[in-house]
Amino acid sequence: MTVGSLLAADLVIAVLAAAGWLGGGAASAARRRRLALGLAAFALLATFARAITITTLARAGWWFAAEKILIAAPLSLAAVVVAGPRLLRAPVDIRSVAVPLLFAGYAESSALLVTILHGYPASAGAGLLAVAGVVAATAVSWRALGARPSRMVSRGAVVVAVAALVTGTGLAAVPGAAPAVPHDHRHGDARTVGEPTRRFTLTAGTATVSVSGRDVAAWAFNGQVPGPELTATVGDVLEVTLRNRDIARGVTLHWHGYDVPNSQDGVPGVTQAAVLPGQEFVYRFRADQAGTYWYHTHSVSDLGVRMGLYGVLVVRPAPVTGVDVTVPVHTLAGLPLPAPKTEPVEAGAPVRLRLINTDSTTHRYALAGTPFRVAAIDGSDLQGPTPLVDTAVLIPAGGRYDLVFTAPVTPVALFVDARVVYSTGPMSAATGAWPVLDPLTYGVASPVPWSRFDRAFTLVLDRGLDLHGLLPRYAHTVNGAADPDIPPQVVRHGDIVKFTIANRSLVVHPWHLHGHHVLVLSRNGRPATGSPLWLDSFDVRPGDVWEVAFPADNPGMWANHCHNLAHADAGMTLHLMYA
Amino acid sequence: MRKALVIVTTVLLVAFVLQFAFAAVGAFTKPASEGAYALHSVTGMAVIPVLILLTALFAVLAKAPGRLIGLAILPLGLVVLQALIAMLANASTDAAGASTPVGLTIAGLHALNGIIAVHVVVSVHQAARKLARPAPAGATQVTVREGEPA
Repeated sequence: MTVGSLLAADLVIAVLAAAGWLGGGAASAARRRRLALGLAAFALLATFARAITITTLARAGWWFAAEKILIAAPLSLAAVVVAGPRLLRAPVDIRSVAVPLLFAGYAESSALLVTILHGYPASAGAGLLAVAGVVAATAVSWRALGARPSRMVSRGAVVVAVAALVTGTGLAAVPGAAPAVPHDHRHGDARTVGEPTRRFTLTAGTATVSVSGRDVAAWAFNGQVPGPELTATVGDVLEVTLRNRDIARGVTLHWHGYDVPNSQDGVPGVTQAAVLPGQEFVYRFRADQAGTYWYHTHSVSDLGVRMGLYGVLVVRPAPVTGVDVTVPVHTLAGLPLPAPKTEPVEAGAPVRLRLINTDSTTHRYALAGTPFRVAAIDGSDLQGPTPLVDTAVLIPAGGRYDLVFTAPVTPVALFVDARVVYSTGPMSAATGAWPVLDPLTYGVASPVPWSRFDRAFTLVLDRGLDLHGLLPRYAHTVNGAADPDIPPQVVRHGDIVKFTIANRSLVVHPWHLHGHHVLVLSRNGRPATGSPLWLDSFDVRPGDVWEVAFPADNPGMWANHCHNLAHADAGMTLHLMYA
Repeated sequence: MRKALVIVTTVLLVAFVLQFAFAAVGAFTKPASEGAYALHSVTGMAVIPVLILLTALFAVLAKAPGRLIGLAILPLGLVVLQALIAMLANASTDAAGASTPVGLTIAGLHALNGIIAVHVVVSVHQAARKLARPAPAGATQVTVREGEPA
């Protein structure tokens, strides 16, 4: 059982336990003796089962179990201690166990709410609020059930509930460390990159584009989705002029995966101001990193990219030889892009398919009809890639894989989520059952180039209630906080920095650090044994723990966020800054 | 207070009816997207829980019998469960993010739980109306506990 499914199972068991106790309490209040005893026994069983899931989660990593051990476990224990003995004594009047059973139900429910609404890290504030809720609900039930508690118990309950409520609210409302992200244009501004040799102009504007025969309202660069393909050869200097015709919420260009100087990174409010209608911004950088990249707006990025403000950036080491195809996969207004393309390729020709995922969710790519190698991931060449046959690859949101093969005599087809996107002739294949490549075990290993790390950061990904904005929201959080309240990670130029990223939520988070590529050290405690993987986009699945590291060699203020852009908008964005 | 209880349960019932309509809005919005369920999410996670808490509060203030108070608070548990089922259903996808039979089965529970919740709310509404009706003199003792004004 994976840690991800264990997290889900634990939630389900917690719900069953809470429902069992509450149901048992209600049944005993209604003097349904057999039902009450049955439900209570079931709840007791579920509570014990939860002890097992919590222990297993704690062994997988403290992050997954912290609040369950510190808050849920004591509350569950209280539930069992209060309700258990009463049941064993088999009371004459079943109604007398209603309050203990309801207490157990409230304890389990509030522990569950702590996990759902608060999560990691466990805090005294959340624990006290949970206690306040349990005591208050129990006191109210006690009164409502007629058998009023003695005055002392009553007053004691009120005092405990109020004290816990006040302290808990106080602790929860204390503003966390929320330093504003400094607006910083210093880094790299004055860097001279030489006279441009490749000039492009991208004009962003609303447009109507045709997708699979349907007219779709889009936001487009130069009236097309995807935008123009920008190509360069190593040694070029790129100059891209961005103009905004009528995108009211502003646009920028972020060079996804391409490690530009900070001033060219295109993050509004951090490295530049958003380009508003009528304005322009000129990006200039050296083409010195060969590989497959893409560009997209980083202003209202979720909506902007979804509406079509993206395109391909390819830097080639030398002029093209053989067949070189880019496949930027996107979903525009629910319709899949690009349109399927068929072109005959001469047998024996070398083919490179540059697969790009510009959506916010993972896509599955399967190349049928030929053995192939994965030559590069996220723009970095792999070491010693071996030929693969009938194997699918999963590309995270924002990620790129370069597949290479020699064209066979027979047709070849590339399937994306079972849809043919590129082929060299008519062919069909069932690729659904193919195994998926694990890049961590693919290719030839090299030792990790560093023996120690100067900085280590842990990022625990979760969901939680964020009350710091104008309206409360159910945010996607990092270490219990949501943007803009996540403290920036501070590094020094030259540091070797290690990230440990743990996902305790139920959804995939494709992680993306700007301005750097990270070397994968391990996933879920197992070291990477394949080719060194220098990634800029990687899927941290539910229950996953990734360890990655990188040299801090590109000074500036960098966004570090989930590339499911809806999640980034909902709080899952922080910044890495150089001291 | 009993009139107020009837009113707030009526509003809650209307919110539930709208909630079903908003689910349909989400299901039939083209192109399909998570955003299509924004109304459904806000109603389910903010409006309805607040209305349920109000209902329970008014039930207590109206000195309704414990059974009715319990019945009034029950939908809150079902609504939390409802959000959890939605989360689990969305989480039960394959590696490429496509639905799985397990995920769709869980999604089915979301609909069933919704039906159960609306039935509970209907019962609360009916009980509240019964409570507000001036009871015949002989029947008061049956439904009202001692020490409370009939």
